Amino acid sequence: MSAEAMERSERLRIMNYDTPAESDWETGLHPMDDLLRGERLPHIWCQGCGLGTALTSFISSLKWLEKNQGWDLDKVAVVSGIGCTGRIAGYLRLDSFHTTHGRAIPFATGLKIANPELKVIVISGDGDIAGIGGNHLIHAARRNLGITVICVNNFNYGMTGGQVGPTTPHEARAVTAQYGNYEFPFNLPYLAAASGASFVARWTVLHARQLDWTLRKALIHSGFSFVEIIAPCSTAYARWNPEGKGLDPENLRRRGLEVMKHYQKVGKTEQGIHPKDAHVKVNSSGEVIEIVEGEFLDETRPDFKEAIDQRATTAEKFWLSEKNALDKRKKLPPKKGKVPRTEIQLGGFGGQGIMSAAKIIGMAASIYNNLEACFTQSYGPEARGGAAGSQVVISSTPIHHPHLTQPTSMIMMSQGAYEKYVADLSPGGVLLIDDELVDLPAEHREDIKTFGIPATKIAQDAGNNRAANTAMLGFWTAVEGIVDKEAMQESIAESVPPKTVSINLDVFESGYKRGLDLVKK
Amino acid sequence: MSKEKGRLTGEHFMLGDHACAEGAILAGCRFFAGYPITPATEIAERMSVRLPQVDGKYVQMEDELASMNAILGASWAGVKSMTATSGPGFSLMMENLGLGIMLETPCVLVNVQRGGPSTGLPTLVGQQDMMQAKWGSHGDYEIIALSPGSPQELFDLTIRAFNLSEKYRTPVLVMTDAEVGHMTEKVVIPPPEEIEILNRPQIYKGDVEPDHFRIYRESPDGDPGYVSPMVKAGEGYRIHVTGLTHDERGYPAMNAEANEWNVSRLMEKITANLDDIIELETDKLRNAEVVVVSYGISARTSLWPIEQARKEGIKVGYLRLITVWPFPEDTISKLATKVGAFVVPEINMGQITREVERCAAGNAQVFGVHKPGGDILDPGDVLDTIRKAAAVTQKN
Ligand code: SF4
Repeated sequence: MSAEAMERSERLRIMNYDTPAESDWETGLHPMDDLLRGERLPHIWCQGCGLGTALTSFISSLKWLEKNQGWDLDKVAVVSGIGCTGRIAGYLRLDSFHTTHGRAIPFATGLKIANPELKVIVISGDGDIAGIGGNHLIHAARRNLGITVICVNNFNYGMTGGQVGPTTPHEARAVTAQYGNYEFPFNLPYLAAASGASFVARWTVLHARQLDWTLRKALIHSGFSFVEIIAPCSTAYARWNPEGKGLDPENLRRRGLEVMKHYQKVGKTEQGIHPKDAHVKVNSSGEVIEIVEGEFLDETRPDFKEAIDQRATTAEKFWLSEKNALDKRKKLPPKKGKVPRTEIQLGGFGGQGIMSAAKIIGMAASIYNNLEACFTQSYGPEARGGAAGSQVVISSTPIHHPHLTQPTSMIMMSQGAYEKYVADLSPGGVLLIDDELVDLPAEHREDIKTFGIPATKIAQDAGNNRAANTAMLGFWTAVEGIVDKEAMQESIAESVPPKTVSINLDVFESGYKRGLDLVKK
Repeated sequence: MSKEKGRLTGEHFMLGDHACAEGAILAGCRFFAGYPITPATEIAERMSVRLPQVDGKYVQMEDELASMNAILGASWAGVKSMTATSGPGFSLMMENLGLGIMLETPCVLVNVQRGGPSTGLPTLVGQQDMMQAKWGSHGDYEIIALSPGSPQELFDLTIRAFNLSEKYRTPVLVMTDAEVGHMTEKVVIPPPEEIEILNRPQIYKGDVEPDHFRIYRESPDGDPGYVSPMVKAGEGYRIHVTGLTHDERGYPAMNAEANEWNVSRLMEKITANLDDIIELETDKLRNAEVVVVSYGISARTSLWPIEQARKEGIKVGYLRLITVWPFPEDTISKLATKVGAFVVPEINMGQITREVERCAAGNAQVFGVHKPGGDILDPGDVLDTIRKAAAVTQKN
């Protein structure tokens, strides 16, 4: 523990523990009544259960914070999962959410991030938090999300009758581990700390005073705070294990008490030690022989909200650049004349900008030429390495079928793509190739019109290898005339990185000229 | 300036998934929790860029269980929230979709459907989760599910999904698919002033005596379609909500009467408002011999075969389920007495086809055009089925 944290801990320690006001004795009200839903009591917990003590400790911490730190308890939200501990939320007169098994932490994540003003506390059992919800625990800790997680650990699944769980000590007994637990339990403080929690502690319910103090600190803590409370399960766990075995099965209160005595015997306070050393030791018959207790970690680190908020300025810049592009956009006259359904297949290899070329055509047609345009791309294994393909359909009328049925126009920039797609081109269709990348075989189709330019070379000569696709776009625009030249230019200018706009437009122009020349011939 | 912040009003050549995110932003969504999954990932990507621009929050959760729960938590903090996923993630969300329904929590869940079952076809289209959308979470409930056929409609229906979820205080599903999600077309983002945005009925601090406050009120005038106002966390009402069967106060009530009260209100707020919730697009239903009933991408790709069939002289009607759930039972039952046959194209082995059959109740024949995931339907198959249906009709 840092010196600062030690000092804070000491300050809290010497503050007086709240005693009930005189008036409460007179009215007969329990001092905690205002934070309990009286109409829901009595609670469902067994006699001798440790949950009552855990609840009392939590409430007194809140009352202390209300009185001494000005906490507005209307802004406190408690979230529980399922299980005996999960019922705590329902007894508290606070905003309280009883969620599904294991999912209290993600629910709390939503509450807290959506409204950082709320003080959000998760109270649930070990099965809920470390078993079914274990993944959520480690990730909330990793984010240093500003919530408090109080995990009441009774070493088993109590509500369902005492099954073995992720915290059941090795060799201890449970309904589903009657020959002794052959698994090993989590050390919860170590798990939380290793995952990124910035405040970590453990107490048994016997150490109620210490627990109160620790809870106050955990609740004030700005990052992710984790408190494990070890508590007797008089009905289930104590029945099977040395701590409560051999006692009258009817006398649950006695059993709970025996477990508390046991805690007194085996509890060992070791403030500030590394959470790794915060053992729950057992002997060979599964009897707990040492429980290390205390506050193990108290660090100040930026919490999740701060981390998110730091990004706001960058986000605004992103938005402004997108908005400026929209505002700058020129309005061009719509394309003259009707465009029948035109299907364009583009193909090449990864990195040639086959997708962006298709998108540029689509945008030119739809945004600048007021045509209908639909751009789709081939996903799946074939899109990784090998041939990359993208498709655009353009038409003056609505495009019902988004896929190509019979492409009329093709732009092929690799041998592989040529081989893959050329057979699909409809008779009389136009094939445009980068003629340095595609070698037409002797049996090349004669029923289609084929034109080639050295697009990659043109781009290289202009000083930007990556603009080969733009050369092909210029070429395509000239040969096909489906989309207006100016529409294509605007679409390119809007789509390529700002620094490369002029070079791309130059390359487009070269491709366009070559196209015109070829068509004239 | 502040009103302008984050606006992208105008025409875009936009990916379907991104259009979904833009619809959400315009609808007022300010919290997104999600987990990457093809083909829904681009919704999360776009939200992660856009939300911080409008003072919203994006969180990438550890899994889909957490994503679904986080959006419920955010909604109870008073913030409109959404998540997006596909098949496997949709399955993981089912548990807490149920929690959302039980707690009466407005939020939107988008499923960009891919081919299943299991990991199935991550990058390729399917409409195989339509019945899961209806029945996927355990227990009895009603659900609202919308099905768009283009990026523009994905944008529009995401807004409508938010409006319905706010109005009826319930999670709403947008059941789109890989084809629409991964398609790029023109999307017009109108100025926010031109869009109707609904917000949940809500009670704020001081509106009601906390002692008289009921989190799940019944209608004061016996309206079964009544939706109780919501109270967010932090308003001083010290609310309690639970996934357990509960009473008006939100307190657990463990008996059959309570379950009946609880389940009825979840169902009736939908079933008593069908006219408002169900949205259909129809064309030439009058005098139709054959009616094509479809939704989403399959409805769109049926338009060409319908045109062809009409050219061949077959009287084909068209009924597109913009709202798939709740199902337009009355419309289909009435139509069944007037038309000869229904043709139901969908990219699955016959899910909505069964609903049409159930509602047609033997009064009209039902022909499905089915294939499992991987590709949109072949227009030729749809055309052939329309011809077949017409032949049967004419014989009768
Ligand atoms: S089963 Fe155990 S944990 Fe649950 S209430 Fe009873 S004693 Fe407590």
